[in-house]
Amino acid sequence: MMARAASLMLLAGVLLTLAGAHAAPPRPTDLATRIDRRLEARFKGDAIHPAPRAEDAEFLRRASLDLIGRIPRTADVHEFLADSSADKRARLIDELLEEPRFAVHFANLWRADLLPETSSSGQAALFQTGFQSWLIERFRANVPYDQMVRELLTAPVGGGREGEPVLRDPERPNPLAFFAVKEASPEKLAATVGRSFLGIRLECAQCHDHPFAKWTQEQFWSQSAFFAGFGKRGGLFAPLTEVADRRELRMLGNGKHIQPGFLDGGKPKLTPGQSSRVALAEWVTAPSNPYFARAAVNKLWAHFFGVGLVNPVDDFRDDNKPSDPALLDDLAAAFVASGFDLSLLIRGICRSEAYQRTSARTHPSQDGTRLPARMTVKALTGEQFFDSLALATGYRDTQDKGAARRQFLTRFAQIGPPAEPETSVPQALTLLNGRFVAWATDPQRCPTLIAVTQTPGLTRAGRIEALYLATLGRRPTPVERERLDRHVARADAGGEAERLADVFWALLNCAEFRLNH
Amino acid sequence: MPPHLPTRRDLLRTAALGTAGTAFSGWLGDLALRAVESPQRKRACILLWMAGGPSQTDTFDMKPGHANGGPFREIATPVPGLRFSEHLPRLAAQAGRLAVVRSMQTREGDHGRATAHLRTGYTPQGSIRFPSLGAVVAHELANPHADLPGFVSVTPQGAFAQPSVAAGFLGPRHAPLVVNVSEGGLKVEDLGAAVSADRACERLELLREMEAPFLHSRPGQGTATHVTAYDRAVRLQRQAAARAFDLGQEPDSLREKYGRSLFGQGCLLARRLVERGVPFVEVTLGGWDTHDNNFEQVKDLCAVVDPAWSALLDDLGQRGLLDSTLVVWMGEFGRTPGINPRNGRDHYPAAWSTVLGGGGIRGGSVVGRTSKSGLAVEDRPVKAADLIATICLALGLDPKKQNLSNVDRPIRLADPDAEPLREVLR
Repeated sequence: MMARAASLMLLAGVLLTLAGAHAAPPRPTDLATRIDRRLEARFKGDAIHPAPRAEDAEFLRRASLDLIGRIPRTADVHEFLADSSADKRARLIDELLEEPRFAVHFANLWRADLLPETSSSGQAALFQTGFQSWLIERFRANVPYDQMVRELLTAPVGGGREGEPVLRDPERPNPLAFFAVKEASPEKLAATVGRSFLGIRLECAQCHDHPFAKWTQEQFWSQSAFFAGFGKRGGLFAPLTEVADRRELRMLGNGKHIQPGFLDGGKPKLTPGQSSRVALAEWVTAPSNPYFARAAVNKLWAHFFGVGLVNPVDDFRDDNKPSDPALLDDLAAAFVASGFDLSLLIRGICRSEAYQRTSARTHPSQDGTRLPARMTVKALTGEQFFDSLALATGYRDTQDKGAARRQFLTRFAQIGPPAEPETSVPQALTLLNGRFVAWATDPQRCPTLIAVTQTPGLTRAGRIEALYLATLGRRPTPVERERLDRHVARADAGGEAERLADVFWALLNCAEFRLNH
Repeated sequence: MPPHLPTRRDLLRTAALGTAGTAFSGWLGDLALRAVESPQRKRACILLWMAGGPSQTDTFDMKPGHANGGPFREIATPVPGLRFSEHLPRLAAQAGRLAVVRSMQTREGDHGRATAHLRTGYTPQGSIRFPSLGAVVAHELANPHADLPGFVSVTPQGAFAQPSVAAGFLGPRHAPLVVNVSEGGLKVEDLGAAVSADRACERLELLREMEAPFLHSRPGQGTATHVTAYDRAVRLQRQAAARAFDLGQEPDSLREKYGRSLFGQGCLLARRLVERGVPFVEVTLGGWDTHDNNFEQVKDLCAVVDPAWSALLDDLGQRGLLDSTLVVWMGEFGRTPGINPRNGRDHYPAAWSTVLGGGGIRGGSVVGRTSKSGLAVEDRPVKAADLIATICLALGLDPKKQNLSNVDRPIRLADPDAEPLREVLR
């Protein structure tokens, strides 16, 4: 225990030193340069030939999917391709961060991470709206990350002795949904705090000392004890209560009484009448906590590159080393120095050459590294995929009261890690033959097809190009143009709209549309 | 070209959609015969899922003479001492093929959690996405090259049993193919092309040509599974594969025997699929959440279950498939032995029943015993994991086998604490 605490302190010392070296908050360009220099050195050393810069269209589609959760509009593509200024990519990133959809998309991602229950259980899903709204408000205001986590962990429980019915108003922005969905269970909460905010998996230590990492069963339970004051009787929808001075938890199995204690061995100073959660939140989000900033940086890195510097992202431990420890430390230090400013980190990563490389494999050495030598082909979340489909086709939620969206969100939910996208047979059938795609490829009903086939004065090539821009966010290559022109030209009199619908069908079904690349 | 990419010729051939059936004739050949002859025939499982939680006191663990017993009478079966409800007469005649577990004892009394618990054998936990039994069996037993999927779910119901989450950490490729009610019959969702066969074929050709450069330049799991899934989806549309789902191929007399209910026809479909090598089929019958008016509802439900289940056992038996096909009957929990003021029974996980039969099972046996009132398990309590481990063994699977979960922790097919019911295994 002592040795563990000592090694944590040492780590903390390193981080503080790093933070000290760049005490002034870095600018996004500096961060991008540091990322690229570090990677360049690594690639040179490992004889890896990184892929070249992506074309503008590839970059625009990727940045839109990663930052606002859907593909770009046709008008955006036109504008971006026509823009000849040198800083247009950096400006695009800034603009996307200002869009309301940025907060919505990031709230989706964080909600899925913090409350995975809401995507697998119909009942837990009822808590989704309020929690999501709360996250959206935070991302919209660019609330510093440490503050956001503190607000979440210390959210006061109202309602006095009766407790707070969390679902009283399901639309109300409400962080308490976090505790309600975890059924106020100290063990589940401790495990989630470990996994999501510290990047460590404590849950194995619930029943026995962690088999791979250093965490002991007692450490798990002393972290859980910070939530010992919670009470909830009568299932998921019961009101939440908290007795602030109830500090003790009984360990599963041996029944030992456990007091709150930090993972580094420290003991909290608890204020009478105040929830232990306050002390936990302070410790978790402290600049000196060696895990908090690293875990956040790593999670963002994985969001943009598909693979974390530590991978899986929530598994920091001695025998799962970062692919580049110095880079992780450097980014974490910059994040701390910026006052936990997520948007700085995002700008820095997105401006790097590393993020702007093509996803096409241009050299075999690119497959032999966990560092981004070419952009990873990433999975789309259900939301990213459907919102892109909706934009490409001109679908409006009002036409079927959101039924199509709901169907797609469950059927196309992303299950595995982002770097391992998987398409299933039912998903393929849905896109090949399903009702939504049948509607989307009906030239009389789908708004996009109506516009593309009925706008007067457009050439055949112009109509084909419009379909490419709407779906793939790029113009067709000469080979594609020629091939599709042949397909459409074969139409009988008056059948051109149907042939264009075939092209649209193929575009909606192709891997390039289904993936983030 | 990546290895999975079919050539244009393949495409034209496989995108048959009913026009090029001869190219694959033979694959269905003399199916049943081949299935029975092979000593290595893999086993299969049909899960009859009773959504809502069926009442054990009115079916397989009756309490005549006790206040909790309710109005139904017991009837004898060919197995001495084993008695069923009077509303399951045909099934009672086949009791020699069944093992009744009367001592299920679980802790989840909420539909959502209990459904997850019984379908996975694990207690639901936040971060681990446990796969349902169907996905586990498909993962272990399905032939990856087969035209038909490894896991088919017939009329799944409710948010508690979402097919899209059923595969859990095993991944979407083990998610069930869903058969649902459409135009009065059972149909695979989105199996038929929305346009003419010729046009569908042309579209597919267009798609493959268009996406080839992208697939080629981005090798990896994302593109590979995309190609594989489309390939399998197209193969599934082949005449022969699609015909597996066509109940019109069955004689009317047999369809009558199963009962014309959706559940009855679903059971017949399950037999057709198992016969063609699908390792796991689940057929759901809802309506068991009988908080009100329990007895009338259970009687009606039994009128659906009794012909369907008994015809299924008979049919499998006559085709020589019963020895290799395990049939499981269960819900997420049982119902209170006590009768509530609305003449209903409420959720009861503390003492309830499930039934196993067919492949790998010693028929005519009873496991466990409940008290006179039915309130408590008096002998041989059985946990969900025990049941799942028993099912694994009956299917020839090692319940201790591990798969890597989404949190990179190895998870066994059945919880390591499971104690399988070896006494019912053959």
